[in-house]
Amino acid sequence: MDKLSTQRLPPLKRNWWLKHRFFKLYMLREATVLPLVFFTLCLLAGMVALLQGADSWQGWIVFMGSPIVLLLNLLALAASLFHAATFFVLFPRVMPIRIAGHSLPDQAIVAGQWAGVVAVALLFFWLFGRA
Amino acid sequence: MMDKLAMNKPSMGKNSTQHKQAFDEPLWWGLFSAGGVCFAVFLPAVILFIAVLLPLGLLPAEALSYERASTLLFSVPGFLFVGAVVCLPLFHAAHRLRHGMFDISVGNDALNKKLMYGGAALLSIVALGLVVAGMLG
Amino acid sequence: MNTEQINAKNVSTKHISVKRYMPDSSAEPYWQQYELPVDDSTSLLDALNHIKEQLDSTLSYRWSCRMAICGSCGVMVNGIPKLGCKTFLRDYEGEIRIEPLSHFPVQRDLVVDMAIFLEHLAAVKPYLIDDNPVKPYDPQAPETYQQSPEQLARYKQFANCINCGLCYSACPQFGLNPEFLGPAALTLAHRYNLDSRDHGKKQRMAELNRHEGVWSCTFVGFCSKVCPKHVDPAAAVNQGKVEAAKHTLIALFKG
Ligand code: SF4
Ligand code: FES
Repeated sequence: MDKLSTQRLPPLKRNWWLKHRFFKLYMLREATVLPLVFFTLCLLAGMVALLQGADSWQGWIVFMGSPIVLLLNLLALAASLFHAATFFVLFPRVMPIRIAGHSLPDQAIVAGQWAGVVAVALLFFWLFGRA
Repeated sequence: MMDKLAMNKPSMGKNSTQHKQAFDEPLWWGLFSAGGVCFAVFLPAVILFIAVLLPLGLLPAEALSYERASTLLFSVPGFLFVGAVVCLPLFHAAHRLRHGMFDISVGNDALNKKLMYGGAALLSIVALGLVVAGMLG
Repeated sequence: MNTEQINAKNVSTKHISVKRYMPDSSAEPYWQQYELPVDDSTSLLDALNHIKEQLDSTLSYRWSCRMAICGSCGVMVNGIPKLGCKTFLRDYEGEIRIEPLSHFPVQRDLVVDMAIFLEHLAAVKPYLIDDNPVKPYDPQAPETYQQSPEQLARYKQFANCINCGLCYSACPQFGLNPEFLGPAALTLAHRYNLDSRDHGKKQRMAELNRHEGVWSCTFVGFCSKVCPKHVDPAAAVNQGKVEAAKHTLIALFKG
């Protein structure tokens, strides 16, 4: 081997992902976990409040209603849906489902996962939604 | 050229690949994937009901009253709920944060790994511990 | 299609900027503009050949088959890895910037050093590892080893790779860490692992189940977008993660 083949390039600079739309969307996908972590911490606080008693629980609900917290959690809701949209299409590519030698169409698997989201939402409506 | 490389690589690779086996990565990836499914399937509804409709007063008054919320959470289904809605998504987040930090060259991966997965594990234990405490108390 | 459309060649003049690098005469790369006549059927490779033959014989680039099969004509077109012979200038309005493939050391102009790519390909043992008995040594061995269309279908898509390396230029994880085996090598490993005639999976798994194997991949997915052969390397790499996880579980239980 000639000496050129041992040549190595310096690794990418940290702003590499700003150079292309595709990479920006990738970073957005990865960043969906930031509001998720925020919501999870809120939920943990709520569990502590619930353990402390009725007054803390009421206090937590008031806290959850404060504009900034509400805004960040709306962001988390949007993030969860964006994450779902990006995650569901990956599933059939990572685990292609073959039945009797034929692979199930990707759209069917994606649709099935969205049906899961709707089913969970309906379950929540059944649990909490009725007067 | 290919031949020469093919001859070189395995002989020098054999010892180095064996002790470079990433036996922990399948675990992190498994937790990441499971957490990703939970984040996508459960979290939209959970966030909508608990973090949006509840504080806005759009749920019926007794839907998540102190009594009802306690009975629901401090139970076996509540324990499973926390596993699916808190613990697994935390590991999902930890994995993405770890790789995201590598992507933008922040810190070093060995340390980030410990911090992220360690943090997720710690918060998961706290969360599940809270449910158990509620069930006992 | 009517004859008028076939004859409508739409001849026009386009500007192409090429990133030149000639280490003998200047240490720094620089941009050079060329102006050339193109029509509807002018591929980027045609354009480069035109420059080389008519305008500037000092330009260096690789090509051979001019039909998207040899995989040697990869360049960056406006920042996206493409095959020169499969890219048509009619699809580009405005400026066209041609650079050597990203993430590889440049030797001269559009010619990059792909040694590390070849090393990574070789590392996954991309050939049938077959311990079936064969006729000359074992009279009991069957005449041929057959493969059904179903067995072929399992890996066929992943066998279409032409080793062009576009996916390596598209992969930020390879750009961040050149030790990462990368999309095409991991895909090739998966292709042989899926082959019913192969018995080398265990050996390949040792390469795949490393941090620099499948686990460096974050499913960015751009590799699959740029692949000229629709191999979907990102899918193969991530199916490789499932296999590596199984391999680890088995290793764990066997002690
Ligand atoms: S997987 Fe596609 S892009 Fe990558 S080397 Fe093979 S043909 Fe080229
Ligand atoms: S010249 Fe062979 S692939 Fe383009």
